Amino acid sequence: MRILITSASHDRSAALAHHLAGGHEIRLTERTHVETEHEFVLSALGHDRSTNLLTRDIDAIVHSVEPQPGEDASAQLDAATRGTYNLLMAAAEEGVSQVILLSTLELMASYPPGFRVRETWRPLPDTQPPTLSIHLAEQISREFAREGSLGIKILRLGDVSNKTVADAVSEALAQPVPLAASCRSNESTAPHALSITHVGERPQ
Amino acid sequence: MNVLILGGTGMLGPNVARELAPAHNLRITDVNPPEDDLPGEFLHLDVADLDGVVAAAEGMDAIVNLSVLRRDRRIAWDVSTRGCYNMMQAAVAHNIRRVINTGPHYTVAGPNVTECFDYDIGPDIPPQSGTNIYAITKSMGLEICRVFTQHHDINVQTYLFYNFKDPEAIQPGEHYAPFVISWENAAEVFTLGLDIELNALPSNCEVFYVFADMPHGKFTNEKTKRILGFQPRQDVEILWK
Repeated sequence: MRILITSASHDRSAALAHHLAGGHEIRLTERTHVETEHEFVLSALGHDRSTNLLTRDIDAIVHSVEPQPGEDASAQLDAATRGTYNLLMAAAEEGVSQVILLSTLELMASYPPGFRVRETWRPLPDTQPPTLSIHLAEQISREFAREGSLGIKILRLGDVSNKTVADAVSEALAQPVPLAASCRSNESTAPHALSITHVGERPQ
Repeated sequence: MNVLILGGTGMLGPNVARELAPAHNLRITDVNPPEDDLPGEFLHLDVADLDGVVAAAEGMDAIVNLSVLRRDRRIAWDVSTRGCYNMMQAAVAHNIRRVINTGPHYTVAGPNVTECFDYDIGPDIPPQSGTNIYAITKSMGLEICRVFTQHHDINVQTYLFYNFKDPEAIQPGEHYAPFVISWENAAEVFTLGLDIELNALPSNCEVFYVFADMPHGKFTNEKTKRILGFQPRQDVEILWK
């Protein structure tokens, strides 16, 4: 499988690339240059043809929205929303079969301690990046899934190790590709266009 | 009331400015210059400029966001999503409790809400914009407003429109959208939105469809009439009569 991983400058993406490289072809991308042993494509995830070329011949994308050093909150939010939309639009046009969005369980942190919070519960972001950014990235992903143009798997990560993240991504990649515009949580087994899985414990 | 209008020199802006000017002090901003007779103070401002929006909001009692960019895939995010974030940050910074946001009908009712099959489509359905660039950027703006109202004492009214008409320019038999309103009638809702007591609104984040009474019943403006006291004019009826 050919896998594109975004936010390549971040440790988690690098660790994920290292983990997946044993069984897959890896392409990394970032808004600034990154030294890596893997194939690397510099991309701002703009709305031009370069984002289509970035996603061409890719089977799966592992996408995360991470800030660049020095970005203010408004710029972080803009990069997360615009970049996610452009990436998913290009992926849909290029026939990418699935996208895994790495989100955060911080979105569910405001529920009272002790509640058994499920994937189907409403996210409760605060007003600042990173949680607002990733919440909007989830919302954008949801619309692509609703239209059936992409299969989207959202992994909301708690405070887990890079190894746990890599295992969760590997498991998601091995699951059937969603085909129809519907939704499931990890309480169901049927493949659908949007799935959400909580990985690890939510912050409380 | 001191009112900041973002995106005030577009199609709807001058109508809103002329409607509000007799009772309010207006500070109008836009990236484009105003018409000669536009009332109020004008500032050149891009809503994607966080510091500029925060500075423009100083001393204001309310913000009206009319900024719009429909098709450009770069600027649409600047205006409709980042612009909303910057507006809400400005509201927080200056303790402005009254915000009026705007957008198209498919901010909430995207392609899965079928105008072919359904009737009485209201503004309180779960937002489902689809991926159309205008719809999804405005929908993300609405979501930003909703999140801010969950964390701050700010009240956001969002007015959604579909199609505007100049009654004098309507040609008999011309095509029309499922909800239509004249420019002047649309502007009147902003007076209602500035006048209403905030505690008379059901919540601090409310969405309204704004259009004339239309006979086919596809969408409903009942909430707008009931809560805001909106009075639709009968100035576009030639479309179906």
